[in-house]
Amino acid sequence: MEPIRVLIVDDEEEFATGLAKLLGRRGFLVQVALGARQAMELMESGSFQVALLDVKMPERDGFSLLGELREKAPGMAVILMTGHVSPEEERSGRKVGTFAYLLKPHPIPDLIELLRRAATQGGQGPKPSPGEAT
Amino acid sequence: MEQRDGNRYRAMFRSLVTRMMLVSLAPLAGIGGANFLLFYQLNRSVVLEQQANFLRYHRESVESFLGSLTAEIGSLAHQYSLEELRSGALDRLYRINQERGGLFEDLGVIGSHGNHIKYVGPYDLTQRNYRQTVWFRHVVEDGYYVSDMFLGFRGVPHFIIAVKRAEGEDFWILRATVNTDYFSRVVDAARLGTTGETFILNQDGHYQIPPRSGGNPLAPAGFPDLSPHQGIKVRELVLEDRAYLCSSVWISRPRWLLVFRQETSDAYAPLWKASLVGILLFLAGGMGATIFSVAAARDQVRRIHRADLEKESLTQRLILAGRTAAVGEMSAGLAHEINNPLATIDTLQTWIRDLASASPIPEEDRREILDSAAKIGQQVARCKVITQGLLKFSRKVEASSEAVDLGELLKDLLLITRSRARVENVTLEADLGELPRVWANPTHLQQIFANLLNNALDATAGKPQARVMLRAREEGDRVLVAVEDNGCGIDPQDLQRIFTPFFTTKPVGKGTGLGLAICHGLVQNMGGEIQVESMVGVGTRFTVILPMARGSQEADGQTQ
Repeated sequence: MEPIRVLIVDDEEEFATGLAKLLGRRGFLVQVALGARQAMELMESGSFQVALLDVKMPERDGFSLLGELREKAPGMAVILMTGHVSPEEERSGRKVGTFAYLLKPHPIPDLIELLRRAATQGGQGPKPSPGEAT
Repeated sequence: MEQRDGNRYRAMFRSLVTRMMLVSLAPLAGIGGANFLLFYQLNRSVVLEQQANFLRYHRESVESFLGSLTAEIGSLAHQYSLEELRSGALDRLYRINQERGGLFEDLGVIGSHGNHIKYVGPYDLTQRNYRQTVWFRHVVEDGYYVSDMFLGFRGVPHFIIAVKRAEGEDFWILRATVNTDYFSRVVDAARLGTTGETFILNQDGHYQIPPRSGGNPLAPAGFPDLSPHQGIKVRELVLEDRAYLCSSVWISRPRWLLVFRQETSDAYAPLWKASLVGILLFLAGGMGATIFSVAAARDQVRRIHRADLEKESLTQRLILAGRTAAVGEMSAGLAHEINNPLATIDTLQTWIRDLASASPIPEEDRREILDSAAKIGQQVARCKVITQGLLKFSRKVEASSEAVDLGELLKDLLLITRSRARVENVTLEADLGELPRVWANPTHLQQIFANLLNNALDATAGKPQARVMLRAREEGDRVLVAVEDNGCGIDPQDLQRIFTPFFTTKPVGKGTGLGLAICHGLVQNMGGEIQVESMVGVGTRFTVILPMARGSQEADGQTQ
């Protein structure tokens, strides 16, 4: 079985690298970008099935990055994550067609499960699951 | 504080009482005074008029008495011939006179040579010759004469009425001596008040008929005004050290001054009585006005006090609401700043489990586990800073002002504001330096600056290179704290209303319009002021100017 290729974009370094190690141990192929610029560079060099995208980041937030990622890789599923979510943000997040919109901290086993499903279903749009943030 | 309030209400009470009394008493005094003056003048003229009228009637009675005496003597002189009078008629007339009360003391017929032809009366005057007397010459010239009072040959004050009767070539004179007591009774017959009395003076100011209260006939009366005058003259005079209201009139024949006098206290008695009533009424009115003013002022002050208390309690609730709102606005940042470390902790603990599930654990993994645990510790510390900052903000509710370490307070506030700034992608900088203590309520200070910082973040959120700067510096005996942003700026129109309650430019549901109004109120309460400068598209600067704590240095030393 091909390993699932995941791109984690988050300015929280400890979170991103920790999650990458976890996922790596579970057979994912993970790359970490600590900001938008780094993410775009990684997009150039490789293709990903799923992007795990933090919304609040210093230089550029996840929303603005989302469009560009979409353009680059229309088939890639995007999961948005944020430490705080306002109702408007969540609505606009769903509108742009993300696979899931999660509130940190999201249970790790659930997150892994979501990543797997996202990889198989691609950018087909959200499929609500019991663990998803609402 | 309460002492100051008490003084304030007392001062308010005093000022209200003063004003109300002024308003009620001034017209009362004005109208009362004017009325009194008018009343006094009117009444005085009435009193003067009354006395003048009195004397007018009295003069008539005195003149008619004297006139009738003259007429009677005249008619007797023409009724009887000298012969008849000499041979018994005069005796008969005298008898009738005696029977009727003795108006005439004696009667006499005097011949042109000046000697008595016939005399009836109690004195022996038959040998007297009157040829050289004043009255004799007057009678010869004028036909009749009424004399002044004089002692004459008999040594008793009297006056005479004499009439000339021509008979052929010769003439004779019928002379009557008027009973002074009788005439005195006529003069004193009419009275006015309790001290009113009448007397008669001759042209030289000698008593003809002395007043009832004393004085000797023919003695100088010391009456100061003997000037000839037409009609009745009324004036106030001091006679024998007493103030009198005095009226006088000259009667024609004899040339006597009929004087009526009444002590002024007696003459003006009704006036004084009415004045007293007026004064009592004024005092009663004044007392009523005072009682009313005091009662009304007390009621007003009580109402104001109650309203102040209500306002105070409303303000307190508003401040509390504003505080809650400020925490609410910061909650997004706070949640973010706590959720991020939590997510990291969750990841790290899962990683630790992963590594620890192997048996035995390779040395490399063991080091990784310890490393991850240390990282968890760091994340916990991160959370702790946030929660402590939040607690410092929300737990501290001080009721009174104190010497506050402004620098410390602002740094604590920055802890939680920074979270939001980070979430909103706003650079939050501070330039605080060494700050003195300020005299303020720390809870209110937190609220003021939390509000201003939140507003600045609202204004800059979503903008590129968004920046909020918190600066503080000393200036004289004040401390200036400025919150600057490079956000959207405020429209000049809105700038004027920015501290008005319920004014907001934020979308419905976002802003209450109370934040800045509360800030303004709180700053003013501390004796400070708040200023705002703004330019649309460039940014805004709010400056809070606070008074330094009195004896800031000592306070520093004591609280360490």
